[in-house]
Amino acid sequence: MADLSIAVRQAGDVAVLLPAGFINAHTVREFEEALEGLVRDGRYTILLNCKNLNYISSAGLGAIMGLIETVRDHQGDILLSDLQPNVFAIFDTLGFTQLYRVFGDEDQALAAVTPEWKG
Amino acid sequence: MNVAATMEPAEFRLVIPSQTRYLNLVTGLAKRASLVAGLDDATAAKVSIAVDEAVTNVILHAYHGEGEHSVELELRFTELALEIHILHSGQGLREDQVVLPDPKEYIKHPRKGGLGLLLMSRFMDEVRFKADDASGRNECCLIKKLD
Repeated sequence: MADLSIAVRQAGDVAVLLPAGFINAHTVREFEEALEGLVRDGRYTILLNCKNLNYISSAGLGAIMGLIETVRDHQGDILLSDLQPNVFAIFDTLGFTQLYRVFGDEDQALAAVTPEWKG
Repeated sequence: MNVAATMEPAEFRLVIPSQTRYLNLVTGLAKRASLVAGLDDATAAKVSIAVDEAVTNVILHAYHGEGEHSVELELRFTELALEIHILHSGQGLREDQVVLPDPKEYIKHPRKGGLGLLLMSRFMDEVRFKADDASGRNECCLIKKLD
C-alpha cells in the first residue's frame, strides 16, 4: 500500500480532499500539490475529510498553514472533519483547533458552509 | 514457551539510510515499541510522531536532505521510561540552539515550518540534544516516562 493516496471530489461549492494513509516529510509534496492544485483552480473552500488519515506530521501541518491566508483572502477557508484521535491530538496540542473549524463529519462541515446543503 | 523478561534494561538498535522513505518504518517501530514498553495507544501514537519529527530533522537539516548517510535509532526499555536515542554524524544541534515557537504567535501569523520541535516537546516528557564536535557524533534523545 502506498504511504499516501489522495482523492478529490466536489460537494456544491466545497472541494473535498480525502487523504488516506500518512502525511509526513516523504509524502507531503503530494499533499501540497493537491492543495495547491485546488487553489490554482480557484477552489478556495476546501474540506479535508481525514477519516482515512492515519497520521500527519508537522510537514503536513506546514502545507496547510502555507495556504490558509491565501484561501481566506479569497473568502474561502480550510475545514477539517472526521479527525482520528491521534490526528486531532496533533492539531489540538498546537492550538490549531482555534485556527481551523473542526467538524465531526463531512455533512456537518458542508452544512456549516453551505446552508442549503442537504447531505 | 514464554521467556520471562529480565529486569535489566533492554536495548536494541536500528540503522536506516537518511531517506524519508523510511519514516513510516521508523514511526511504526516507535509505536510498537511504546506498546511493548506498556504505554497506551494514544501515547504510543504521540511517541511515534515525536520520533518522525526527530528523524525528519536529522534527514532534512542535519544531513541537508542527502540520502547516503545513516541515522541510528537506539531504543532503551528501562523500568521507568522508554528512551529513544537518535544518533547521526550530520550537523549537530545543541540545547542552547533550540528555540520553540510560541503556538499563539504561530496562529496569529501562520507560516510553514517550525512546528516539529514543538510537537516533540509537547508529546515527550524530555527532549535532549547533544552535539559532540570532537567525535562528530550527535544525538537527539526522546524520553517517555512509564506512569
